[in-house]
Amino acid sequence: MRATPETGSTVAPANLSQGYRPAPGVYDEMQSAPGAPRPHWRGFISALDRLGRHELASRWENGRRIIREHGVTYNVYGDPQGMDRPWELDMVPLLVPFDEWQRIEAGLVQRARLFNLILADLYGGAQHLLRDGFLPPELVYANPGFLRPCHGIRAPKDIYVHLHAADLARSPDGQWWVLADRTQAPSGTGYALENRVVLSRILPDEFRDCQVQRLAGFFRTQRETLQDLAPANRDHPTVVLLTPGPHNETYFEHAYLARYLGFPLVEGGDLTVRDRRVFIKTLEGLQPVDVILRRVDDTFCDPLELRGDSFLGVPGLVEATRAGNVTVANALGAGLVESPAFLAFLPFLCRHLLGEELLLPSVATWWCGQGKEQQYVLDHFGELVIKPAFGSTQGERWFGAQLGAADRGKLLKAIRTRPHEFIGQERAALARAPVWQEERLQARPVVLRAYVAAGGGSFVVMPGGLTRVSSMSEDPIVSMQSGGGSKDTWVLASGPVVQAPMPATLAEPRHVERAYSGVPSRVAENLFWLGRYTERLEQTLRILRCVLGRLSDETGGEGSTQLAALAGVMAGLGMLPERFRKPAAVAELPQRVLRLVYKPDVTGSVRELLGRIRLLVSLVRDRFSGDTWRILNRLELDSRTRAGRPPLANAVALIHTLVLDLAAFNGMEMENMTRGHGWLFLDLGRRLERAINLAKLLRAGIAIDTRPDAVLEPLLEIADSVMTYRRRYFAEPALPAVLELLVSDATNPRSLAFQFEALRAHAADLPADAAAAPGEEQVGLPSVVAVLPGVDLAERAAQFERGDHQPLEDFLAGVEHELPVFAEQVAHRYFSHSVQRVS
Amino acid sequence: MKELLYEITHSTAYAYAGSVSVSHHLLRLAPRNFARQRCLQHELGIDPQPAATNWHIDYFGNIAHFITVECAHRQLTVTSRSQVAISPAFIPDVAETLAWQRVRKMCDGDHSGRALEAHEFTYASSLVPRSVDYADYARASFPADRPLLDAVVDLTRRISRDFKFDPKATSVATPLEEVFKQRRGVCQDFAHVQIACLRSLNLPARYVSGYLETDPPPGQPKLLGADASHAWTAFYCPGIGWIDVDPTNNCLPSMRHITVAWGRDFSDVSPVRGVLVGGGDHELNVAVDVIAKGPLPDGG
Repeated sequence: MRATPETGSTVAPANLSQGYRPAPGVYDEMQSAPGAPRPHWRGFISALDRLGRHELASRWENGRRIIREHGVTYNVYGDPQGMDRPWELDMVPLLVPFDEWQRIEAGLVQRARLFNLILADLYGGAQHLLRDGFLPPELVYANPGFLRPCHGIRAPKDIYVHLHAADLARSPDGQWWVLADRTQAPSGTGYALENRVVLSRILPDEFRDCQVQRLAGFFRTQRETLQDLAPANRDHPTVVLLTPGPHNETYFEHAYLARYLGFPLVEGGDLTVRDRRVFIKTLEGLQPVDVILRRVDDTFCDPLELRGDSFLGVPGLVEATRAGNVTVANALGAGLVESPAFLAFLPFLCRHLLGEELLLPSVATWWCGQGKEQQYVLDHFGELVIKPAFGSTQGERWFGAQLGAADRGKLLKAIRTRPHEFIGQERAALARAPVWQEERLQARPVVLRAYVAAGGGSFVVMPGGLTRVSSMSEDPIVSMQSGGGSKDTWVLASGPVVQAPMPATLAEPRHVERAYSGVPSRVAENLFWLGRYTERLEQTLRILRCVLGRLSDETGGEGSTQLAALAGVMAGLGMLPERFRKPAAVAELPQRVLRLVYKPDVTGSVRELLGRIRLLVSLVRDRFSGDTWRILNRLELDSRTRAGRPPLANAVALIHTLVLDLAAFNGMEMENMTRGHGWLFLDLGRRLERAINLAKLLRAGIAIDTRPDAVLEPLLEIADSVMTYRRRYFAEPALPAVLELLVSDATNPRSLAFQFEALRAHAADLPADAAAAPGEEQVGLPSVVAVLPGVDLAERAAQFERGDHQPLEDFLAGVEHELPVFAEQVAHRYFSHSVQRVS
Repeated sequence: MKELLYEITHSTAYAYAGSVSVSHHLLRLAPRNFARQRCLQHELGIDPQPAATNWHIDYFGNIAHFITVECAHRQLTVTSRSQVAISPAFIPDVAETLAWQRVRKMCDGDHSGRALEAHEFTYASSLVPRSVDYADYARASFPADRPLLDAVVDLTRRISRDFKFDPKATSVATPLEEVFKQRRGVCQDFAHVQIACLRSLNLPARYVSGYLETDPPPGQPKLLGADASHAWTAFYCPGIGWIDVDPTNNCLPSMRHITVAWGRDFSDVSPVRGVLVGGGDHELNVAVDVIAKGPLPDGG
């Protein structure tokens, strides 16, 4: 007998580059001519070929799964799908050879030094650049990015731009050009890091063999530099990451970076200025902040001195920086120099300020505030891109050639009357790089966003970056907002790279713990509600599952009696209209149940609750471990409707999955979350909700018109106590025993008594001295918690069975009434609702 | 002429519907010093007592106080008391001022010293846009070669004639286009309209906030804008400097206008600006008293 040769090992490698066509007239990153790969791509391409189409497809699927599980999103304004669009990452990285990167690196460092010197002169100095005629005054005085309140505030160590980003494009001759700079709050470093995490996981061997430079060192430098800029608390500075909040397009990244860098993530409302110092409002009181890494735009940072209509900032922040009590990175006002008009003056300024030639040229830019340049722009109107001279480069742009006659006339008139507000720019022919699409490599336009951070007395460049890809082969605009994708950027080393695993976080936990341990009041509130809504969702799921189980029950008899009883309970809970108390309405149940699962606009439906949970999770993302976060993301992913199954079966499958996801979340949080105040409020919310829901459920159960015993088994099922009951009583459910198990048995984690014990323990641990509401009385436990052990439930159950419903009903109504009052007190005492108003 | 001494009390009282737990305010209430004005004394009385009061000189050279009130409060009163000595303004002969287009050209070409500073005031600012509409309105006062002062005095006269003083017509939030359309407003609006006109012709113009002495001298009418703080315009005349004009009262301010602060428009010099936590609706009461104490003795 002869062994059959293994087929897999003898298959010739695929040729994935076959059919790849470099676009004519532009630079191609991968090939110097059709079929001729550039030397630094050869190893990578043959590695891909060896993997083959099938394996690549499966790796790519794996990558997409990681992205979904990590919850990597990019919010797109005005997207009908709503927020949180999944991040698009291409499988093929952009490869940049070592020597070429060295040149880019030198150019970027020079640029960052230059911008810092310009800002130091315009904000911190005597504005020699204007006085001596190196810059036209319009560039500053007519520029909305020039923040006069920040003039005269000298940035600590004269660093204005702590993180600078430059969008680089490559012209047909291979030269790199800067298209635009970001100097106020550049985004993308977190996405670059996440891209790296994903790609190094799905292409581990290729990553290692290509000797790719690592990113972690860059973030470590950024982190240490920020800590080193603390004006006080030099030993244990508190650095926070200030985000505009979950509606911002890059909120995912803010939470991600906060966790990675080990900085608390805060919103403007979490901070307050007292005596010209910045503090975090926490449950434990005010805690000083030394450095703010901000992702809020310049003008939104302080409603008192900057934009009065901003709700994202911190009133008094400018004053605190003026007093030198806090370092803001990037410095307030640093956005001034990202105005495209500055591009036209950089070569001149570089010679003047640094005595050097500008190493990385900017895309040719003509500022219309000068006569000759204006004339050039008007003469070449059809070939150029016209942009506003000031403000962010994300603003409007016009392609002269594509404008209709009316728009063209309007724009020309505007340029003539307000020339200083416009620039003309050469249209960059973007280089193409291969993307993995439709199971083959295709050429797409790319722009590389590179990053420079202050560090080590100068500036360091991230050895990598965020490469963005246009979604179409001929799209002149590459922007995440308009729906492009992204790539990892592999900067190749000159020799072997020290193998170091990508750390999950840079924070040294003990250090951070010492410096900052407070839970912002807003975070506590969100966790409290997360506890309540996950519990509410769980009960809703259990009720619906109970109904669905009986709807598909073909035996009739007991099942249909219980179904009628359940419909009555649901009516009692407000989940169904009153008429469902009558058995006749049961026929409508299937359609009603589906509504309660899928309709997001039905209050209390599974979808609606998931929406609330999703919002809350997004608000406290940085508080959860990666695994917990993945579970919470799964909750969302699993809830998407799956086609191809009968609706009821589909709903049952969905509910089973969601119940398991919730159990995983609860377990993860029980096992992994530190028992600090954050966890306390999460669990407090859950216990309160569970107790309230249980009281309501029992009350609705005993109130139904049909035989009360028909409802007992469903009640046990909803309260997840069927097994315990059977094991303990070996009998059909009876009211006294059911009450014993669900109310007074403190060993049953589903019982009222158990929740009350937890509430009692939590109440004792509530922070005593919250700065959020000083001088108010302590929160008192509801009296039912104290009286429960003395309540003779067996007696009340017996009275109930004799027809005297009142005593049992009174007890349950008391619980249902008192617990929400307690919840209100907690909210009032600990969750500062800081509404700001500007007069 | 000797310096005249004034005592000014300016009180701003807020009553809030709800309790305010923390408030931050930025005050521009201290009269600034310059060539013809000396602030001899200034004090702020704030109730409730702020936890912190600090001051700095702002970008335009005004004095800005930053206060934080940290105790829960339902009302806030800020009382600013000052003693100011005023000397007469230098108002040149009309013929001494350059033709307005020459001024424009000089401002455009000269980027040094005072001209550079003036240059800053030719651009649009947050409350004062530039547009052809304002330029067109202004044009009637600006025929070719007319001396700048002459032209501005004429523009001032036209604004005070064409616009009606009407405290009910506008609020702080009314856009200037709306004021310009309605031809109604208060001193702040008049000043903004005039600034828009001058800037739309590429001439530097700034906003001045301050007070007006309102006790009418015998036989003279009471001037408008008496009960609150006042605002007017200043324009730049190369070789001479900034000259004040009051479009609300159609006059060239001299001994009865007390300057507090200047900037590009109201938003740069707002006397009391605050951000509160809590508070709800509020009622505002402003009272200004300007008392002339007569001429200062020499060397006083």
